[in-house]
Amino acid sequence: MDKKTVANIAYLSRLKLNSDNEEKITSDLENIIKFVDQLDDVNVENIAPLTSPLEKTAKTRSDEVTAKNRKDVFLERAPKSNEDYFLVPRVVE
Amino acid sequence: MSWETVIGLEIHAQLSTKSKLFSGGSTGFGAEPNTHVDLIDMGLPGVLPVANKEAFLKAIRFGLATNAVINQTSTFDRKNYFYPDLPKGYQITQMALPIVGEGSIKIEVDGVEKIINITRAHLEEDAGKSIHDLFEGETGVDLNRAGTPLLEIVSEPEISNAKEAVAYFKAIRQLVTFLDICDGNMAQGSMRCDVNVSIKKEGEEKLGTRAEIKNINSFKFIERAINHEVERQIRIIESGGSVVQETRLYDSVKNETRSMRSKEEANDYRYFPCPDLLPVVITDEELNNIRSNLPELPEQKEKRYVTDNSLDIAEAKIIASSKTMANMFEEACLKTDDSKLVANWLVGDVSALLNKDGIDIDESKLTPNNFAKMVERISDDTISGKIAKSVLEEVWDSGNDVDEIIQNKGLVQIQDESLLEEIGQKIIDANPKQVEAFKNGKDRLFGFFVGQVMKETQGKASPKSVNEILRKLLS
Amino acid sequence: MSIQYKTIAELRSMLDSKAISSKEIVEETYKLIDENNDLNAFITLNKEAAIAKSIEIENSPVKSALHGIPIAQKDLFCTKNLRTTCGSNILSNFIPPYSATVIENLENAGCISVGKTNMDEFAMGSSNETSFFGGVRNPWGQNLVPGGSSGGSASAVAAGLVPAATGTDTGGSIRQPASLCGITGLKPTYGRISRWGMIAFASSLDQAGPMARTAEDCAIMLNEMCSHDAKDTTSLSEDVPNFTKDLDSSIKGLKIGIVKEFDMSQLDTDVVSVFEESKKHYESLGAEFIEVSLPNISLSVPAYYVVAPAECSSNLSRFDGVKFGHRSKDPINLEELYIKTRSEGFGDEVKRRILIGSYVLSAGFYDAYYKKAQQVRRLIKNDFDSAFKKVDVIMSPTTRGAAFETGSKGSDPIQMYLEDLFTIPANLAGLPAMSLPNGMVNNKPIGLQLIGNFLDEKKILQVAHSFQKSTDWHLKTPKGTKLS
Repeated sequence: MDKKTVANIAYLSRLKLNSDNEEKITSDLENIIKFVDQLDDVNVENIAPLTSPLEKTAKTRSDEVTAKNRKDVFLERAPKSNEDYFLVPRVVE
Repeated sequence: MSWETVIGLEIHAQLSTKSKLFSGGSTGFGAEPNTHVDLIDMGLPGVLPVANKEAFLKAIRFGLATNAVINQTSTFDRKNYFYPDLPKGYQITQMALPIVGEGSIKIEVDGVEKIINITRAHLEEDAGKSIHDLFEGETGVDLNRAGTPLLEIVSEPEISNAKEAVAYFKAIRQLVTFLDICDGNMAQGSMRCDVNVSIKKEGEEKLGTRAEIKNINSFKFIERAINHEVERQIRIIESGGSVVQETRLYDSVKNETRSMRSKEEANDYRYFPCPDLLPVVITDEELNNIRSNLPELPEQKEKRYVTDNSLDIAEAKIIASSKTMANMFEEACLKTDDSKLVANWLVGDVSALLNKDGIDIDESKLTPNNFAKMVERISDDTISGKIAKSVLEEVWDSGNDVDEIIQNKGLVQIQDESLLEEIGQKIIDANPKQVEAFKNGKDRLFGFFVGQVMKETQGKASPKSVNEILRKLLS
Repeated sequence: MSIQYKTIAELRSMLDSKAISSKEIVEETYKLIDENNDLNAFITLNKEAAIAKSIEIENSPVKSALHGIPIAQKDLFCTKNLRTTCGSNILSNFIPPYSATVIENLENAGCISVGKTNMDEFAMGSSNETSFFGGVRNPWGQNLVPGGSSGGSASAVAAGLVPAATGTDTGGSIRQPASLCGITGLKPTYGRISRWGMIAFASSLDQAGPMARTAEDCAIMLNEMCSHDAKDTTSLSEDVPNFTKDLDSSIKGLKIGIVKEFDMSQLDTDVVSVFEESKKHYESLGAEFIEVSLPNISLSVPAYYVVAPAECSSNLSRFDGVKFGHRSKDPINLEELYIKTRSEGFGDEVKRRILIGSYVLSAGFYDAYYKKAQQVRRLIKNDFDSAFKKVDVIMSPTTRGAAFETGSKGSDPIQMYLEDLFTIPANLAGLPAMSLPNGMVNNKPIGLQLIGNFLDEKKILQVAHSFQKSTDWHLKTPKGTKLS
């Protein structure tokens, strides 16, 4: 795990490490990855991944509109909004 | 140097469910911003998705109609990226096990048929909308659309040119509207597509580097964007450069594609199975039920129109080409036994008006119901065919109700025989010379008298009655 | 009349005999919280509403054993119109517009939520040192950590401020602090309790559960916390049994599994002797011990540290400063908004886990890490499946040792991760497990872990209850042994 990799995953995660914690976190990550590398030696041939401990199938819902208009409730919780929209700095495409 | 173009389309069709894919939020179009947003659509901390069964049933209809593999167990994955209108920071989609697997669809270009294979069709949630040009220095986010179910239909890279791409898109649109799973409304964004374009030397096996053009929402733009992109790639390669794999945006105003750097910076989506959603299983019974209730598709309709309604194949094709046109035909045929007459109106006058305006039947103001009413008024002799033409034009422009137009403009056919007799006698009295000539064997003059009566009644007289009365008066 | 250290069952009979009113209990609770402010067990108190409710329900029919009983809620459950921070700066001002199903279930049963308890940030930690609101003190010692992540809940119960609290357990976050604070805590089968409104850390591992003084109280809590919830499709539709019924059943002939692969040599000798004592005690109650093999159990911690960070990296993406929560001041563009907001909003442990999660899911690493870990997870589950063919419950120490001092684990995160060595396997397999006090090491409590088969909470509660009926470890308080 080099600096470039850390910088890349930090960007993917929208996080920035600062001079205080960068070195420490990088070496922690390295150690954690080394630690989980124990998994390398396990033979998992033909073993299906277990993504949920419940080996069940989903219950679905019927197609009904149950939500009510909560615009004000949501917008008042937003860090920045006007009467209609959530606002962020202008995105240039 | 001769170049071959290789095109693949990813079509996003908004499924016409009432509620969203994972929440009870409404999918209604055109509401005030952020009013169709549920706790789940907001991606609030602690909320969980619950899948809408109807979206699966609709997706399966598409799969069955394209002879596709239906995965009776399908799963959801998360696609991770940051964008203001993506509330959770990931989109729930079907990566590993989509509901619809490999299928195919037939297209026709200049009378030549071609099969385009479909790789897969999967369910996913739509994002919200970012409004970039409404506020100074800021982008507004409207989450009404967030969570709306989409069926993403991915074609194999088997499309060879812009015309085929348009034909393919039209065929898919025709199908989803006939299946009643998507309203096909491109202006409202119910259907849009991403186009993957690459070029390679003629005869070469290996595909070239592709560019993806995002979010095109009209037939015209698909054609233009592809043509422009192909030219751009040829220019690059012929001048010794190489095409970069990237996402591009089609600018319809400048008629060009340009690189979307913002989408390029982070394209490692880190897909993984969504732990909040267990696999959705469709039983054999559910599948058979959908199969047996599948609506009639365009090809079946064509055949039926030929055998049951005695249309010729060309007429049948035109009428079965769109759901709205077929609906017009079928509704109108309920009002008259003369299906040939109905077909003539659709293939003749209605098609002529469409061509004149350069629009699609769905974009016109004519509704199946209003059209059927017009046909009914012709067949019950309320109006003549000639008057009907002017009624159609009026409907075309205003969208007003046929009966209202007939009422308001006083277009009801004159059925009153004594009144027609009176008018006929007046015409005969006023034209003694012509009467004499007619009686002397100049039969062609009969048309003159009919014309005069029609003129006097402003075309409202029933031609059949006028004929009978004049024969009697002139005998 | 002091209510400190009282159990739910005790308060219930006091209420039923009108020896005390619910309002008096609630007022007394706030006095206790105030007196023990130095524990830093609470992030937000709900005093006004709690007292109002205690008065309001006084005259309404008793709905459950929890009617009128004060409960503390881990600050990871959304509470409508009451600040919910998850121990993080990024949610330090977040007021949810809705309540978690667990909260609604408990409140509908008549319980009174007195406040939101402190916790490791986003439940990531085993010592409560990662909370944005400062660490929680263990009432058993001046500089001792209470464990984590449900450290505030454990500390509040251990100090006798409330009879019970809610917790959540992703890798041991109920059982480990229960062990370190000398209380009883239970993580149910995955899916027993709805996750709706629980702020997700690792969705396929997270499970809410009760923390209380006794197994009986855990059963009382569980009766109200469990429900099938249509809003959480991973919540089980199986019938919820009456957990307090048959609690007194004899455990004669019970088969208890001891895991061959758990390496006792790594533990303090004192912990081992406490464990051996408990085994003897169970033998005296008529239980039989059988060695079982869980060959892949040693891979639990590494598998967990792939799966949990992967899920967390995605779950925490919604904290982006756009729709709710903290946003950094005056970002010049969108990128800066995201990066500054998240970098300011999350502490280092959360950042570490997000980064690990992004790494193990990124292109080229998915198969080697994430997929592999989930495959190993199945091996571990299979191991349990075969073990439970031979035994009724599996028993182990809950933790490697008793409560440690603040900062003593050093700066190596892996040392902290190994705290959950014994507790993580039950999360990976989705099995119910609990911790109950079974002895003291250097005057500090430690716990015994019981792991049950899928949906078999009743069994582990019975096994725990039979122990508590015949021992007094659960009666120990920092102020001495309580008279039962």
